[in-house]
Amino acid sequence: MSLLEITNQTWITVAIVAGIFAGSALLIGVLILIVGKVFKVDVDEKITKILDNLAGANCGGCGCSGCSGFAAKLADGSGNLSDCHVTSPEKKAEIAKLLGIELKDEEPTVAIVHCNGGIENAADKFEYKGNPTCAANNSLLGGNKACSYACLGCGDCKAVCPENAIEVTGKLAQVDPDRCVSCGACITTCPKGIIDRIPSSAPIYVACSSKCKGKEVTSVCKVGCIACGLCAKACPHGAITMKDNLPEIDYSKCTGCLTCVAKCPRHIIISRKVVAEETPSKEEKEAKAE
Amino acid sequence: MGTLIAIVLAAVLTNNFITVKTYGICPFLGVSKKTSSAAGMGIAVTLVMVLATLVTYPIYTYVMVPLGIDFLEIIFFIFIIASLVQMLEKIIQKLSPSLYGAMGIYLPLITTNCAVLGVTELVIGDMSSIIGEAATMNVGWAVLYALFAGLGFTLVMVIMSGMREKLNYYKTAKALAGFPIAMVTACFICMAFTVFSYISI
Repeated sequence: MSLLEITNQTWITVAIVAGIFAGSALLIGVLILIVGKVFKVDVDEKITKILDNLAGANCGGCGCSGCSGFAAKLADGSGNLSDCHVTSPEKKAEIAKLLGIELKDEEPTVAIVHCNGGIENAADKFEYKGNPTCAANNSLLGGNKACSYACLGCGDCKAVCPENAIEVTGKLAQVDPDRCVSCGACITTCPKGIIDRIPSSAPIYVACSSKCKGKEVTSVCKVGCIACGLCAKACPHGAITMKDNLPEIDYSKCTGCLTCVAKCPRHIIISRKVVAEETPSKEEKEAKAE
Repeated sequence: MGTLIAIVLAAVLTNNFITVKTYGICPFLGVSKKTSSAAGMGIAVTLVMVLATLVTYPIYTYVMVPLGIDFLEIIFFIFIIASLVQMLEKIIQKLSPSLYGAMGIYLPLITTNCAVLGVTELVIGDMSSIIGEAATMNVGWAVLYALFAGLGFTLVMVIMSGMREKLNYYKTAKALAGFPIAMVTACFICMAFTVFSYISI
């Protein structure tokens, strides 16, 4: 039996086809409705509200695949609001209110390169003439620097920085703390993993990432940490501990007395204050001009 | 056994959906930046292909042909596949949230995927459109073809994403950076797959 053999008239054929479509559309619509009802998932309203307040950058800096994943983590309590560095403090306060938790006063952070090598200080293992990217350089025997924790200076971090905050001078990347928004793009890009966040008010930072022992470090770098531990002993506030042959600074205890800076025989604990004072600010320049 | 090998080879290599038939180019170029997401997309497409064939083949053979409305196949298949994917998305969301998290975002993209419609269109009729020999088709062969067509799709997706990931290590000329170099890469993959067309069983 064929439906369309009933008649030879065109308009009846069209009507039958239209009827078949309308019928099956209705059938499928009802089916979808039933499936939707049977398999209904209750979406937590809190998640959508949190998602509205998040920055929506989907940068992945928090370790989740996107803002929605982070919102779900926040809602069930396994996420930490301070993992997000993009959302503004006001919006974070809103989210904290939604979650019923108190927002800790977080200090803004900046990225910093934990290396002071460059052309002059860190020795080369070989001459690299390949593609000028850190990733390509690193894939060849771990890069051309003799120290395996050294900045390769090809500027992959500079290329990904959305704020143009990174400058590479003398094959050494440096972050401009005034421009850095702590998005973390450079931190995930650096093949050596030597870029990290520090509080933007931190008075000092460690400009070395080498976990090697003193002798190995001295053979490859003029300014590498030899893990002598003088800084940890000298610190009057107990803010420095030695970990993996590197000083680790507890910024909550550091008062900025700069004892460690003076004690370090390799000058790798660097005072950020001095850097700020050495480069005169605009007001000072104007005052001098007058 | 001969038919089985012929179907598998045709679906995966000689008549690969992306490189030879050029179906499903949108996910091929759009979701191939990362291997993990490309593989997820491939698996999702495979699942939908198998399910769609499982539903459309009996409907076509046992409902549409006897009623004499087999000329409506394309519109009907779009109808069925779109609603099937909608339902599948909801069911997965309810039954397996983790699978939904891994695959959920790709499902709406597949709703109107030409590779899925292509496989359902190819398996109706007889074998000649698939392996070039006249042989009777049945649900089993149809689903098998859909499964291996999906796996062939996944294979090419993973190859493409792997190559695009490697390309990130190199600085390309500014005019070619990004999408253009992906097109060139796709071209080379397609040319490589033409080699398989010399296989004869």
